[in-house]
This record gives sequence, structure tokens and C-alpha cells, in this order.
Amino acid sequence: MSGIVFSTWQDELIDNRGKSSDEWVETGFKLPETYYGDTNSKAFIGWDGVAIFDEDIDAVELASQYAAQYQEYSEACGRCAPGRWGGRILYDLLDKIARGEGSHDDISHLKEIAKTMMTTSKCEIGKTVPKPILDLMEHYKEQFDTCIDAQVPSKHYNGNTSYIAKVTAPCTDMCPAHVDIPAYIEGVRDMVFTESLAATRQTMPLAHTCGRVCPHPCEDACRRTNLDEPISIMELKRIGADYETDHEIPWLHPREPKEPRNDGKKVAIIGAGPAGLTAAYYLALEGIQVDIFEELPVNGGEVAVGVPEYRMPVDKYNKDIELVLQMPTVSITNNHRVDANRLKEIYDEYDATMLGFGARLSKKVRASNENPKMGGYWGAISMLDKVNLWSKYNIGSSASNELKDKVVVCVGGGFTSMDVVRCSIREGAKKVIMLYRRDEKTIIRNTTYEEYHEAVEEGVEFIFHSAIEEIFDDGEKITKLKVNRFELVPDPNGGRAQLVKIEDGDFEIECDYLIPAVSQALDTQILPEEWNIEMTSWNSILTNGKDYMTSKEGLFAAGDCEYGPMTIVNAVGQARRAASVISRYIYDGKCTLIDDEIMEDHLNRLKVYDKNEKITGWMPGIPRAVSQKLETDERKTNNKEVNLGFSGEEAISEAERCMRCYYISMVAV
Amino acid sequence: MCTHNSINSGKEITLTIDGKVCKSTFGKTILEIARENDIYIPTMCYLTKVKSIASCRMCIVNVDGVDGAILSCQERATDGAVVTTNSEDLYAERQSIMKLYNVNHPLECGVCDKSGECELQNKTMEFGLAEQPFTARDQSRPVENWGYVSYDPALCIMCEKCVRVSTEITGDEALQLQFGGYSSKIVNTQIDKNYSTLGEAASVCPVGALVDTNFKYTTNAWELSKIPSACHHCSAGCQMNYEVKNDTIYRITNNFEFTSLCGAGRYGFDYANKGVTKDSEAFNRAVEAMKSAKSIIFSSQISNEEAYILQKIKELTGAKLISNEARAYQKFMQAYSSVTGKHLYNGNLKAISNSTAIIVLGSRVNDDAPMVKYHINMASKWNRARVAYMHPIEDVEMKNLVTQFMKYEAGSEEGVSALLVDTLLKDIDVPKDVRAFLDDLDIGNLSAGSNIGEEEFELLKKSMIKKRDFSLVIGADLYTHPRATQIAKIIALVEKYTNFNVVCIPPSSNAMGVSLICDLDDEADEYSVGYNAKANFTLSALGDGDLDMPALNQQEGTMVTIDKRLVPMNVAQPYGGYILNDIANAMGIGARYTIDYTKSLPLEKGFRGVEFDALDDYFTATGDEKRGYLLELHETPTEDNFEEIEELDGFDGAVIYNCNPKDQFSPFTNLCSTIKDESKLVGSSQFAIVTKLQDGDSVSFTVNGIEFKRLFRIEPSMKGTIAINPIYDMGLSTPLVSYYRFNKVQIIKEEKKED
Repeated sequence: MSGIVFSTWQDELIDNRGKSSDEWVETGFKLPETYYGDTNSKAFIGWDGVAIFDEDIDAVELASQYAAQYQEYSEACGRCAPGRWGGRILYDLLDKIARGEGSHDDISHLKEIAKTMMTTSKCEIGKTVPKPILDLMEHYKEQFDTCIDAQVPSKHYNGNTSYIAKVTAPCTDMCPAHVDIPAYIEGVRDMVFTESLAATRQTMPLAHTCGRVCPHPCEDACRRTNLDEPISIMELKRIGADYETDHEIPWLHPREPKEPRNDGKKVAIIGAGPAGLTAAYYLALEGIQVDIFEELPVNGGEVAVGVPEYRMPVDKYNKDIELVLQMPTVSITNNHRVDANRLKEIYDEYDATMLGFGARLSKKVRASNENPKMGGYWGAISMLDKVNLWSKYNIGSSASNELKDKVVVCVGGGFTSMDVVRCSIREGAKKVIMLYRRDEKTIIRNTTYEEYHEAVEEGVEFIFHSAIEEIFDDGEKITKLKVNRFELVPDPNGGRAQLVKIEDGDFEIECDYLIPAVSQALDTQILPEEWNIEMTSWNSILTNGKDYMTSKEGLFAAGDCEYGPMTIVNAVGQARRAASVISRYIYDGKCTLIDDEIMEDHLNRLKVYDKNEKITGWMPGIPRAVSQKLETDERKTNNKEVNLGFSGEEAISEAERCMRCYYISMVAV
Repeated sequence: MCTHNSINSGKEITLTIDGKVCKSTFGKTILEIARENDIYIPTMCYLTKVKSIASCRMCIVNVDGVDGAILSCQERATDGAVVTTNSEDLYAERQSIMKLYNVNHPLECGVCDKSGECELQNKTMEFGLAEQPFTARDQSRPVENWGYVSYDPALCIMCEKCVRVSTEITGDEALQLQFGGYSSKIVNTQIDKNYSTLGEAASVCPVGALVDTNFKYTTNAWELSKIPSACHHCSAGCQMNYEVKNDTIYRITNNFEFTSLCGAGRYGFDYANKGVTKDSEAFNRAVEAMKSAKSIIFSSQISNEEAYILQKIKELTGAKLISNEARAYQKFMQAYSSVTGKHLYNGNLKAISNSTAIIVLGSRVNDDAPMVKYHINMASKWNRARVAYMHPIEDVEMKNLVTQFMKYEAGSEEGVSALLVDTLLKDIDVPKDVRAFLDDLDIGNLSAGSNIGEEEFELLKKSMIKKRDFSLVIGADLYTHPRATQIAKIIALVEKYTNFNVVCIPPSSNAMGVSLICDLDDEADEYSVGYNAKANFTLSALGDGDLDMPALNQQEGTMVTIDKRLVPMNVAQPYGGYILNDIANAMGIGARYTIDYTKSLPLEKGFRGVEFDALDDYFTATGDEKRGYLLELHETPTEDNFEEIEELDGFDGAVIYNCNPKDQFSPFTNLCSTIKDESKLVGSSQFAIVTKLQDGDSVSFTVNGIEFKRLFRIEPSMKGTIAINPIYDMGLSTPLVSYYRFNKVQIIKEEKKED
């Protein structure tokens, strides 16, 4: 059996009941018709409707179980009168009907309660729960009537159907680490900052870091955008983390860490960056022994040696790192470079191994006469290593020895290139130029509005639609660059606009340094050739993106080495999932997902955020809070943190804008 | 100065509510603006003094052009909005919510303490509900006794007001929500601590869920008459009502929408001097004693009018007026004024709660001044304020508020003040002589002497970058310091040259009033008369003197609060004996009633010459305080002369700090059986090692000539070699212990009796 029997999902009313198969209408949504493997779903019910895949569905029990799940998941709610009592009454009345003891009065009571919940509930979960229940009461009315009129239980009451539910929110769904964003925002709103932090740490151990330098894809899925502007989600995350440091409270874990298991099982992690730290943390919460091997003398990976101090103060990052490393079952070995041979040894010694070594090779700009060994040619990664090792850890020497009073040209357009140019300013460069192939709008989209504007304020010169054609040197060092200019020519056929080189648009830049920051690649030397690890087409390690096991049994990969150069939050999300899979794999040798993870993937595929939805019940036009920054003169010659974070008033005001868009969905299998 | 304001608060807006044009500022909620304009919107969970809770959903309104029901308590009003607060639909939704609030709510109003003043009862009637149309399967939810308060989850409507008070106001952070949908309840996470501050949480409970344990089942609420007054246990002078039936105080309530009380204010009401009759022989002796007295020794826990009478007696007989605490404060504030040019400090409690950075110096503020702590907590919660707590002893009860604990050596307060002021004035233009004084400071030496590292001051400075609204809270440790006047002048530089709000906490309830009214002396001569203080002839409201006096809840009068506000106090308990005014009258200082003097309080000290009966005592609907009046600020002559910082002898070895535990302030709170008695010496295990004591030892020692016998207890949360010794329980001797709060003492271990 396949296909959709009935659906009200997002107002797409499909009713194939009683139709011959060639008349069946298909749905435009990626609904979870198949639950997992060869298990089919009987129905999917959620905030925006109900979809039935099995003609023999017990609609009464489905409705009553959905209300029951809402009751069970009330840790996400239960904080307003309509939600708290309304939800209970909804369930009690539906179950009464399903048992065969209901009356038609109960139906009218249900409708009354449903209306009050939908109008006055505090959060979306209370507002949306009644919707699919009312849909079922309307479109499967005969099943309800039968139960009431004949006083009989519903057709499969207490049968063998399982109901699997999950609470999500558009922002949570969009966040690669699936952080329970409404909960940590509510912690700020309630001024119980410890709860805010605990909520973040459920799925995100790097709260300091991702409260500062996350590109916040969540904000693109913030329903508040449909009303006015998205919530400043990222900056609110920092509040809880800063509270922990300010008040020196004991480490706050999302749940009591389990006692060390001491059962001989152990997991190796290669790399102490965001992915490695995250996996270590969640394995350690389970009491599992984890040994991390880190090549550098300092911990934290690219965030430590790549992201500059003015954006991500190391003492704050160290808090995140310390949270992980102080767990009783985590150990770390620094200055330990793992090569292919060593990886084989580790692989043999450990019950599972996770690669989290990132992508730390700077790619070339592909200009003629490009010679990475030429003086003045300085890869972004190694340049930032030098800057950060000195400014954060006093290791090595100051990059101002090289950059002071020099002309620096960076080719890029992403976060790394922004770090390069802004660090160059801080190291005293005379002139700093960023060459970028595309336009201003794109660079803002690829980084952030703040990042770009702060760079401009600090004196970085951006030249858009430009690319280096040729590099000139005097045999020892780079002297100048020949740069082509491009323009965006619209496609007359309505296709994507093309970048076309402008004839006679070329110009030259005399410079001392060329710093390519176009992208980074993996150092694949670590992978033993005989393992024939399968790679993606862009030469990162291939997994199925669900359990993060590589083509080599027991070898997992997460973060940039799996995805290619991407965000911290992406690495965290992958590594947490990998840790969950590993925590089971080391005992049963199987790669499995738990129901919550299966549902997470289903919802992600279905998409939770609907940018066309009309918001009701909230005042539009409440401005989004913007945190205070250091003035240009106060920041451009030093490494002081630029973003001072929200004041208390701004934080609470911003938190009050959050509409708590929790949704509950459920699959019947 | 920082003008960063990304959320447009303060911008002027105009909106229309129910047809009425309302002008206000952006940042206020629709509900706030409605209340400013006398427009009623029903609420169940709204509590003015905390941020909006938004749990009840009763306050929904409609806004033109906006779909759906808008939550007026949370949503800020925007310019041009057209709001409708009532309609058939809105009424129906509110009625539905009331139906839900009544789901399974026990029908035990007949024996419920809240009956007659219950919001659920009121709103159930307001929305015309005659029955409970919905029910759900009931649950067994036993009543929990938490000590001062009891919690009945079956009655709880989960409005969350109590949790907000615990978090935002009192800062005990004991109460939390336990989510569980229908089984949600409030949990007390600090049940073993039996925080008296939970009384504040109980006071805001709209139903009978959270009630005072002692008050429970004692009377019907409507049988009590409310007598408005001010709490005089400390200088906060909080608004309160004695609730009385048949001359018995049953409980204390307050205007909880806008104000709060501490445990002492809430539960410390049973201290009246009862059963006193007129003993004319004793009275005559008292008059004679007063006539011949060379000194009058008194505690500053008296009314302004009584202080005025004592001043009049001094003017008549030439007797010295001795009130050590008030005298120390008077001298401190005089020295302070000689720099600022104003006779009072510039700060107040509200300014503290509005601050984004607060420095506390010289006070164990959680114990000394609970209202100051509450306001620091508000700043911490609302503004994420940086709180630097400078004191020789760390206080675990302040840990959730404090962002920087700066521990200094006892005795080094002068050096600490200088270092602090040097830090705060670093980048500020000051006159040459001040700069010269600061430049001459031997920072290294002072830093070593006080044991606060220079980097700690740098961190303090750094944490204040780009902040606005600063407060400096000064405590009683400084007033009695041997170098108090020099310290006062140094601290005064902060008020004079920065934009800090400075509050110098008056060291006892009416120390400010007494210090303004009385011409106080330093040393007593024999023969002395005491008023609530031990002397050759003692007048006492504690009931153990040579002539009885009324306690402050047995007489009318006024006091001056930490906010520099004169507030009235009223009679809650009858008194049948003689009062101070009778003695004054017998000496020829004539006034029919004590409060006839209220209008005579000295104008040159900022009093306004208002009659007692003309004093207001209320809050407006939007929370403006109309209690008594604020003292006028007067200019004083200034002189700048700073002495070199003097080093005091070190306080190494075992040191005792005079400090009353929370909720205990004086012999009067000590009389109250309803407050915990904690008259023991508490110290760290390190203190125990230094003094060779063990937990549970009986010890004796002498402080300022007064012998203490105490049980010693080790407090695991304490560190260092300073122990805390309460003085509130020393009766008429308590006012005599008023020297510098740190003392090196010899501790004698009492022989243990064989069991």
C-alpha cells in the first residue's frame, strides 16, 4: 500500500477515499509515508493538518493519541491556562469517545475548548493542536458518531498501532544542531538564565561560541519574519552562557551526567574542534570513555586558531572547551598528529573512531603564476593560525612583524576572508583590499550584515566583481596583481545572470601580501589508502548524512571533514548525531537511529517553516534589538571583543518578541 | 555616556484605547497605558512590579488591522494603534479562560484563607460563572508545608507570580515551575533553607495556594482591619499594613503590586509592649531622672518626633545625646557633604534597581539591608547588571547576583575606598587637588595592604565599559571605621565627579532621621537615662526597664527611610502606659501629642513642615509613591582636604564581625516568636582551626565591653578567619555595640558539661 488516502496538510485538501487508484491525487509535500526502513506510516498528524496513508485508520484514536502526546510533551508548555487545562480536557473527552462512553455534548465541548485554545494559548503548540483534531472530527465524523451512537470503542482502540511524536519549531528545525531555541529564549524572558543555558546545552555544548559567531540559519526560519523582523536568536544564546561565567556557577549540564561506565568500551576522536568536542561531550554525558587526539598544542580547532579574538574571545571559548574536557570520561592528547598509520592503530584499538579533523588546507585562487612558495603568498589558514596563536596564546610571534605598514590583498568572500582582512587591519597593515567575484549583497548573504559593515568601517576596501588573472613577483616575493573586472549580465531568456569579464576593465594592484581565502580543503593524507574511503564529489568524506558512518565500518566522520568547509553549528549538529549513533554502535555493532532522530529527519525533509503563513495574535512593528558594538576607533587597533552583547533590557525585550512557535507532530505506525 | 537604544524605548507615541486618545512612550505595554488612562482590562497573572508573565491570557484585546487576539500585558503599544479592550468575542474568550481556571478547582472556599480576597473568586463572579462546566480526571496533590509558607497545589492556578517574585524581586530563586501540563506545579528548590522571603511570594498569590503557615485557618480575611504603616526594622521603611482584629495583629500585608517586604517586615510584628498600665511612681522617677540626666543614651530605632523631643530636652537641660550608630552615621554624612556640597547622598533604591553596574562596599547587604539586596537583584535580573561585592567575607546568598567578589582585609577600608575611587575617576576631569591626592596614592602599597590586586580593579573597570546608570552602595562597616570621616570624603568624590547614584545605607532604622534632628554627642557622662538602651535609669519598650515605653507599633510618628523619604507610622496595638512626650510635658516642653512635633522637624535639614495628619500614605494606580514626602536637598559648604591614607593594624588571627542574620535587626525582631532565632557565632572551619573550636562548642568573648555567650557553629559555605556574631539579641545592650564591626577578640571555650 502506498499513496495518500486523505490529507489536510497546509490546506491541501486531498480526499482519495473511495476513489479508484487512477483518480488518486498526489500530495505536493514530502510527508513521511514511509517511517523508517520498510516500516510504513499509517498517518501523520501535526500543527498544520493530518495526512492518512492507511484506509483502515482509526481516526478517533489518532485524534485522542495526538491530544495525549500533547499532554505528554507538556514540558514544552503547560504554562498558560488554555494550554494547560484545555489540553487535558481535549484528551479526556477524546479518550472518553474512543472508549465508547462519549456523547454528542462532548463533541460540542471539544469544539468550544478547541476554539479557546486556538485563540488564546501562549504558544503555537496550544494554538495548533486542535486544528488536525477538528479536521478529523469533520472529515472522519462517521467514526466519531459510531463510537457515540453505539457506545462502542473506536475500531482499533488499544490495538497495536504505535504513535511516535516529536516537538519542534521552525527555528529548531532549521538549526543544524536542532537547538531548542524557544526554550532558551524563554529562559531569558523568565530571567532564569541557568535554564536558558541548560536548554541550549541539550544539543549544543558550545553555547558561548554559537552565541557569538554562528551565522544563525535559524533566523531565516523565524516566523517572526512573517510579521516584522526575525528574532535575534543567536545573541540571546550568549546570555545564558555569560551568566554561567559571570557567576561562577558549577557546570550546568542539560541532564545529570551518567556515572562513568568503565566497561572497557572506548571511542577515539580525531580533532578537538567543534565536532570533536561536541561528540566527546554527548558521549561523556552517557558515561562513555572518549580519548581525543589533537594535532595542535591548543584546543578548539579552527574556532581557536581561525576565528579572531575580537569576534570570539578565547577565554569564552575556553569555557566551552573546559565544559567538555572536565567531563570525567574525556581525555585529550595534544601535539599528537594522527597520520594514516596512526589512524590504523587507533582504529584497531578503539570500539569506534570519529574523524573531526576539519578542512585546513587553503585552496588556490587559480591565477597564473600562482606559487604558494613565493614570498608574500600566505594561505588564509596559516595566516590566521599565526595571528591567533600569538594573540590568544602567546605562541610564535606577532603577525604585525609581517603585516605592519604593508599592502594586503585577500581573495575571498566568506567568513574566513573577513577574518583575514579585519585581522590585517588590526596587525597594522597600511592598506587592506578584498577582491570578490560577486557583489555586496552576496557577500552579506554569505557572511553577515554586521561582519561586512564592520569591516568597511575599519577601513577594508572591497572590490566586487573582480578576480586575479595574474600574479607578478620579483623572484623573491609578490609585487603586484593583475585583476579582471566582471559585470553581471542578465540572461535575456530569464535564466541566471552571468558574470562577464569587462573588456579593458583590467587593473593592477601593487601589494606585499596576497592571502587566498577562497575555500579550504581536507588534508586527506590521514586516510589510509587501502581503506578506500568513499569521498563526495567535492572531496570530503562521504556518509549518508544521517548516521555519519563512513564507508569504513566503525569509522565515523563529522564536521568540515565530512561536509566540506561549513559552519560551527553544522559540525555540532553532525557530531551530536554521530555521538548518539556511536553510543549504540559500540554495544551492538549496528548503526541505528532512535525515533526522535528519525522524526527529526522527517520534519527537516517536510520543512517546518512556512514563509507564507500569516501570523495572528501578535503586534507587528516591534523593533528587533541590536546589541551594542565598540566604535570603530575603539576596536580597529586591538583585539577587544567588538560585540558587547545585549543589555538586560534589550535581551528581555527581544525574548518577548519570540512567539514560541512550538509544534507537535506525530506518526502512527 | 552611552546612548545606545536599539529598541526605541522612550519614543513618544499616541494610540487610541476604547476611543480614548492616549499619549505615552514606546516600550510600555498596552495594559500599562490602559491603566495610566483608567481603562480596565481584566488580568489574573499580571503583577505590576515584575515583568509581564503572560500566563493567564485574560488581558487579550483587539487591535485594528491586526489579526487575532493581542496580549495586552506583554505586547508593547505602537504609535497609532487603535485598541479595543472589550467585545462580545473577547468577553467570551475571557469567560472560557475562567471556565478553565475553574476546572476541578476545589470548592472549599468556606475554609480557604483567601476567601473574600481571592482573585479566582472575584473573576468567577465577574464573568458570571455559576458552575464548573468542564472537569478532568482529578489528581491527588497533597499540601506541602515549606516553613513560613505552605503550598496547596490543588488550589494553584499556575499564574507564576510567586516564581517571578522569587526570581526578580527577592532573588532567593527558590521557586521554580515544574512543567507537566495539567500536573504543572510550583516547586520549592530550597526547602531546607526555609526562606522567609517566600512570604513575598505568598503575598502575591491570587488564590489560596501559597499562604502564610502561621496565619492559616486563624481568621476570615474580611474580619481584619488594615492599619497602614511603615516597617521600622531597618531603614528601608517599607510600606505595610498591620491587619488587626480585637487588638491582635494577625498578619502583615502590603501593597504588593508595587512594594515588597523582607522576612522581618512580613513576620516580625509581635513585639508590642503589652499589658502596660500607668505606674505614676515610676513615671515620677523617670521625670526626675531625665531632669538630672547628664546623658541620654538611646537606640536610633525611635520616631523622628521622639528624637525631636530628646533634642528639646537636650536644649532644656544640656544633657548629652548619645546614640552611637546615628552619631557615626551623622559624622560620616557630614564629612561626605563637605565634599559633595549636598546634605544627603544622591541615590535611592529605585536608582539601584535601574542600574547596569553596582558596587557594594562595606555591607553584608543581604543581612544588613534586604531591600537593597532586592533592588540589586532587580538590576541583576532586568538589566543584567554587573555587581561588584567588596567585603572581607564572601556571602553565598549573594552569589547569584554578584559578578565580581572583591575580598579585602578587614580594617583596610580606607585604602580600598581610595583604590576604588582612583579606579572610577581615572579618565574623568577632576580639580587639581583631587587629582594630586589620587596621583599620590601608593597603589602598590594599598593594594598589598588591602589584598585586592590591581588587576581586580582593572577587571571592575572593564566590566563597566559602555554601561550606563551606575550605583555605589555604602554600608555600615565604613561609618564606624576609625578613619570614617576620611573614607566618607574619598567616597564622596564618586558622587561629586561621576554619574554614580550613591546610597549610604543608614545603619539602623531611623539613623538618618535621628542624625538630622539631634545634635548628637560622642561620649556619655554619668548620670544617664537610656531609651531602649541600658543606662542608670532606663526607659524601655522591651518591657525590662525602669519605666515602660511603647514600641513603635504602639504609637504614631514618622521615620526617614533610605530613600530620604519621611513616612508615617500608625498604631496597631494599644498601649496603656506613659510615653516620652508625657515626660517632656512634665518637664515643661509642651505638646499634646507626640505627632504635634511632625510639622516642627527642622526645615534646614530638609523636612517640610507638614502636619502628621496631612501626610499621604498610598500608591497611585500606576505605582507612584505618595507616602509622606521626600526630604528637600540642601546645599552645604564644601572643603577639600584629604589626608594621607593611614594603615591600620592588621586583623590577622581570629576576628569577629558584628552582623545580624537575615530577618533579625534589633531586640524588637528578637521578641518576635515568628522569626527564626539564630543567635549563634558562625565561622568557617578555618576559623575553628585558628580558635581551636569545634562545631557545637559554647564560647564566651567580649566585644566593646559587652560579654557574649554563644554557641559556635561551623558554616561550611564560609571561608577565612572572620566569624559572624549577631548582636540583635542583646536587649538593652544592643545599641551599645556600635563600634567598628570587625574586632579581634579572645575567645574562651566554656567547659563542656559531662552528659
